[in-house]
Amino acid sequence: MGDMVKGNIAIAEAAVRAGIEVYAGYPITPSTETMEYLSARMPELGRTFIQSESELAAINIVMGVSACGRRVLTASSGPGISLKQEGISYMQQLNLPAVILNVVRWGNGLGSLDASQTDYLRETRGGGNGDYRNIVLAPSTVQEGVDLIYEAFDIAEKYRTIVVVMTDSGLGQMMEPCEYPDFREITKCSWGLDGSYSVKRGNFLGRDIQAESDAYITKVREIRENEQRWFAAGLEDAECVFVAAGMPGRVMEGLIEEMRAEGNKVGLIRPIIVWPYPDKAFAELRAMNPNVKGFITVETNGEGQMIEDVALYAKKNGFGMVPCYAITQACGVPKDDMVKEAFAKIVRGEKKEVF
Amino acid sequence: MAIEKHAPQAVNPAMFCAGCGHGVLLRLIGECLEEYGVEKKTLVAIGVGCSCHLKTGINCDLIQSPHGRAAAVATGMRRAEPDMFVFTYQGDGDAYNIGIAETLNAAYRNENICVFTVNNTNFGMTGGQMSWCTMPGQKTTTSPSGRDISITGAPIKVPELIATSFAPAYVARGCVAGPKEINQLKGFIKNAFEAQLNHEGYSMVEVLSTCPTNWGMKPLQAQKHMLENVAPYYTIGEIKPRKGAN
Amino acid sequence: MREIVFAGFGGQGILTAGLIISQIALYSGNNATWMPAYGAAMRGGTANCTVHYGEGKVSNPGQQKPDLLLAMNEPSYKKFQGIVRPGGIILYNSDMIGELPPTKEGVTAVGVPCNTLADEVGNPKGANIAMVGAICKLLGDFEYQAGIDGMNDMFRKKGKNKYEALNVKAFEAGYNYVG
Repeated sequence: MGDMVKGNIAIAEAAVRAGIEVYAGYPITPSTETMEYLSARMPELGRTFIQSESELAAINIVMGVSACGRRVLTASSGPGISLKQEGISYMQQLNLPAVILNVVRWGNGLGSLDASQTDYLRETRGGGNGDYRNIVLAPSTVQEGVDLIYEAFDIAEKYRTIVVVMTDSGLGQMMEPCEYPDFREITKCSWGLDGSYSVKRGNFLGRDIQAESDAYITKVREIRENEQRWFAAGLEDAECVFVAAGMPGRVMEGLIEEMRAEGNKVGLIRPIIVWPYPDKAFAELRAMNPNVKGFITVETNGEGQMIEDVALYAKKNGFGMVPCYAITQACGVPKDDMVKEAFAKIVRGEKKEVF
Repeated sequence: MAIEKHAPQAVNPAMFCAGCGHGVLLRLIGECLEEYGVEKKTLVAIGVGCSCHLKTGINCDLIQSPHGRAAAVATGMRRAEPDMFVFTYQGDGDAYNIGIAETLNAAYRNENICVFTVNNTNFGMTGGQMSWCTMPGQKTTTSPSGRDISITGAPIKVPELIATSFAPAYVARGCVAGPKEINQLKGFIKNAFEAQLNHEGYSMVEVLSTCPTNWGMKPLQAQKHMLENVAPYYTIGEIKPRKGAN
Repeated sequence: MREIVFAGFGGQGILTAGLIISQIALYSGNNATWMPAYGAAMRGGTANCTVHYGEGKVSNPGQQKPDLLLAMNEPSYKKFQGIVRPGGIILYNSDMIGELPPTKEGVTAVGVPCNTLADEVGNPKGANIAMVGAICKLLGDFEYQAGIDGMNDMFRKKGKNKYEALNVKAFEAGYNYVG
């Protein structure tokens, strides 16, 4: 087992090992340790670290690097990620891959520094203007963060898309033992610009928008089919299925064991990738267990955001009349007692379903 | 001996309006790409506006940047590919209004790129709105009574700002008018190319251009207007010469 | 699974104390998590962190019902004494907390003059380490030597083993004080 490492730093080192050649970013709490670490680590390896003048510049530098077919990372939080949306939308239009670390902090505007999942809907719905989705990875432990960001670059390049690794200030700031993967060989993507103008541009006045859209949708469907990922426990006999991702997800992994030991028939779906959402988890659940009486999300935000996805995929998979509840705490790590008390209220019929 | 002139292969006839200066600048850049032998190792970041005609106008690897961000995109290209020739091509609205932060900060970092900006004193592509380079009293679609600099601020001189505030390798302002001005401009562009190829650092060449369509003038009338009314404000010449150059 | 909350002024070595315990836990073959309460101020404000350790995965790294609260100053004592679980321990800095506010029923309060102890062994910055020693003894999860070895291992890996002998003395002073 490795030593105690801070989430933000462990994830940065994993990105280095995945072969990033450039990091560009602007400091913002609670993501800053990532760039502080890379400011020393990247030059040490003869790679490039840029502290840019703004988040806007950072994401556009990322675009320039990505256009050359090189691996590149940027990280931010809260309003910083909002500023990056312009570039993300452009990169999606240009089919340029990159990995973006969002260490989510609570709130609108300046918000606060607290751990939260208030960015869930924005991250899973695209975020900038246009018709696109980013692949969104939601690690729940430092080790999972390391493993996912290491793989994120492969996924991003496979589909030529943006991959967001969504942690929160809790996972970013906490320390946990973790082990690092090996260094990847650095390669330039074959499609990267090399100055030779080998791929000719079309006439932009004669664009076929329907064809562009169709091509994108083909890619999206492929991603939906291939990239669903989740952890499940206790689904065979669950009457109540908890759904939680990220920090609340790890809390629920432990808590459902305790609740089951206390005689509750509860199960858990923990989406590891939240877009594409684990549709198949609900399909498998439907096939194995016809007795589900309710879905309950555990989230750190106001009235639940992921609950919308749970309701959609429950409906899609034949759980149309099954109520969906949200147990929420605005920020921080959900407390076991808070979840248990809210669950008891649901069981007693004292808490209304959301959908 | 007869001098044989051929159109540079790196550029194509583009779709600029009649009498617009963009086409001349593009031709000069195309000539330099060939003369310095970098036409097959060039990366271009263009802006949003009339500069987007380079998508068809130039046979180079190119990214159309978000509005104003070309200098940041070019920074990424430069850092990713140290051996390539990297330049930006933007209008004044793109580089100096919405993109002033990215433009100035690339100069501030002394990125080893060439920045070409076309100053035609308005947002041309979108129908002639006021830009920070619009002349005092100039009528545009967003200054219909003429630009009132007591409300809007005075026309901005970004090359001077960069030359005096930071430590760029080369800054100049040229003009697309007659052969004399065009030959002088070609010299400025060559200096910018050489500054980058010699790893001297950041260079900017601002190019005063006519915009007959939005100025509501005929091409020759627009050229006369530019030389008589615009050029005296935006001084033509080298603002920051290269070190060691004459 | 153990839970310990470390609290005090910024600059009292609160976060480091938590980290040492978590590293001792790892060194002894446990799993561990360390989670700071994040504040904007670097120094002088309040600081606290929560450490969990034990066999198996730590599912909830947050602050819940600690088995032990380390209160290095009075505001921390007052703020956190209520969350200690029944049967738990409040270990407090008796150099800084004079008149003891009432504690919850079923919770034991143990005072250790950690600044005095640290001064006595010639390591005035080692008050937090004295408390780490006291925690190891009070909870009984780690043998004396395992605690010393885990702590030294952490500082060695950080390249900060210059004060090893002094740190051992501080640890020992705290460990023996509650013995």
